[in-house]
Amino acid sequence: MVDALFPSYPLPQDVVDDLLAAIRREWTFWGPCSGEDGAWRLQPLPGDLLPNTSVTTLLPVKKLLLPHRAALWSHALKGYRTAEAAEPVAVIGVPLCELQAVWYLDQVFAEDEPYQARRKQLLLVGMTCEPGAECRCDGELMPLAGDLFVDVDRVWAISRAGQELLQECACSLPQEMPLPWPDGQVGKRSQISEELYLSSADAAVWSDEAQRCLSCGACSAVCPTCYCFDLLDSAALDGSVVRRRVWDNCFFAEHGKVAGGHDFRPGRADRLRFRLEHKHLGFGDLRGQNSCVGCGRCRRVCPVEIDLDRIAERLHQEVGS
Amino acid sequence: MMYDLQPIPALLEKIVPMVVDNHLFAFLPEQPLAELTPGQFVEVSIPGVGSFPVSSCDLVRDGRIVSCIRRAGRVTDALYRLKEGATVGLRGPFGNGFPLERFAGHDALLIAGGLGMAPLRGLLQALLEDHRRQAKIMVLYGSREPGGLLFYEELVGLSQEGRISVRFSVDFAETLPGPYPQVFCRIGLVSELLEDLQFAPRRTVAAVCGPPALYRCVLEELALTGIAAARIFVTLERRMRCGIGECCHCVAGGRYICRDGPVFSLEQLRGMAGAI
Repeated sequence: MVDALFPSYPLPQDVVDDLLAAIRREWTFWGPCSGEDGAWRLQPLPGDLLPNTSVTTLLPVKKLLLPHRAALWSHALKGYRTAEAAEPVAVIGVPLCELQAVWYLDQVFAEDEPYQARRKQLLLVGMTCEPGAECRCDGELMPLAGDLFVDVDRVWAISRAGQELLQECACSLPQEMPLPWPDGQVGKRSQISEELYLSSADAAVWSDEAQRCLSCGACSAVCPTCYCFDLLDSAALDGSVVRRRVWDNCFFAEHGKVAGGHDFRPGRADRLRFRLEHKHLGFGDLRGQNSCVGCGRCRRVCPVEIDLDRIAERLHQEVGS
Repeated sequence: MMYDLQPIPALLEKIVPMVVDNHLFAFLPEQPLAELTPGQFVEVSIPGVGSFPVSSCDLVRDGRIVSCIRRAGRVTDALYRLKEGATVGLRGPFGNGFPLERFAGHDALLIAGGLGMAPLRGLLQALLEDHRRQAKIMVLYGSREPGGLLFYEELVGLSQEGRISVRFSVDFAETLPGPYPQVFCRIGLVSELLEDLQFAPRRTVAAVCGPPALYRCVLEELALTGIAAARIFVTLERRMRCGIGECCHCVAGGRYICRDGPVFSLEQLRGMAGAI
């Protein structure tokens, strides 16, 4: 997939200007913004200040597709009403690994109308990145989503919408070229097979790591391919009700519990193992698709330095490959 | 198929108290849902409180959904405070349901524990509805105490008509459930009802529904009697929030129980670590 070819065009400054003007007509610019605390956040971009590289923001693009509290519908005397549609947003400066993550979410939520309504409003403009110490991206992992990709003086059309924007800017005669995936420092990661996972239930690594795990759920909150959610209602004084899709977390105590109190994942080790299963093997129709895009966010935020890749390596050592 | 996660308003038409904190609720949706196969479930919403998944326990074909619902949590508690005539919301149906075609031409052995009788009652009705059916239907039903047996009179009635054979068990009791002295009931676990049951394993398809503890003691025992694991069907309970294979709470063995299940064969379950 690193070798997948996309139509690519030279990108002189006048085309940049035209392209930005074309995007601005329909979409509001969002992108990475550095806060006073030094953290990069995905936010509406102020004025004309556009990024020229991508940055791994604290929260991924997921926060636009699956906002952490998103109204699904409201209910009043007249019955149910679908929540208002999201505004069109163009995210400028998305790293390649995150374009993969969006592809993955697109598969999971292929039949989900609220998700698809937001997805249609999103234009994703990828940019090259400076891989950090925690980065372990892998262009072969899965296909990617997105509309445009910008390197210093070239632009690629990834989607039909991206292609149409470039044609509007009089870009023609594309060359078919691969996207500029970073190379060198991004190594292949240990992957867990179904067999290794199944035979690993009693491995010592689970209890070792679970002893440190605080069940804070930060790793899953920042993960671009974690999507657990709960459905929560809130009622206003006038009797109207809003049901929201709210981020949930497989590290939380209630996650595997049913009415009556039985808990299918009672221990912290069970939950840690569940998360690794989700990242490396996936659930349902996506079983077999590793969804860890290697962005490194979980390693960066974990307060006790739990690293799924290190767990995967230990499993290979303990249980055998 | 696209899902909008928006319920269809439904009239809470009738509440029939069954046993303590286990009532029958009949809902009539404003627009009909697709017809439920026994074992499938709906998400019942009480706007402002929340929603919960529940299977149907009645094979009504007039657009109504009839469920036996235990008062077990915050949302079901709110449902119990509603009166007939109230409006709730329904989404669904979800899940696969029991493979009825697999029961054709086979004796059926239904094993239920506690509230597990509810989804199996829908299956039982579907089997009884098939007038060409010659094969036997056996029901083994265990409850913690005699007062907890659901559809007791109905099951006894069907047995007296000779349409099914039924055996009950209760975990704790000084007096057995009445008022039918000829009814088979023993004190003990439902799995013990299997011990001297006369049946032909090779001709039998089983369906099991009950709490997790029941599965741990009954399923492999059932396989030991000689019923092929591919012909033992189990319906699983999980925290199902979305019903469409997204929210991840119900996942076991890498599968969304709400979407790929909730009915699985024992053969499938053996390959799904953590499912039972």
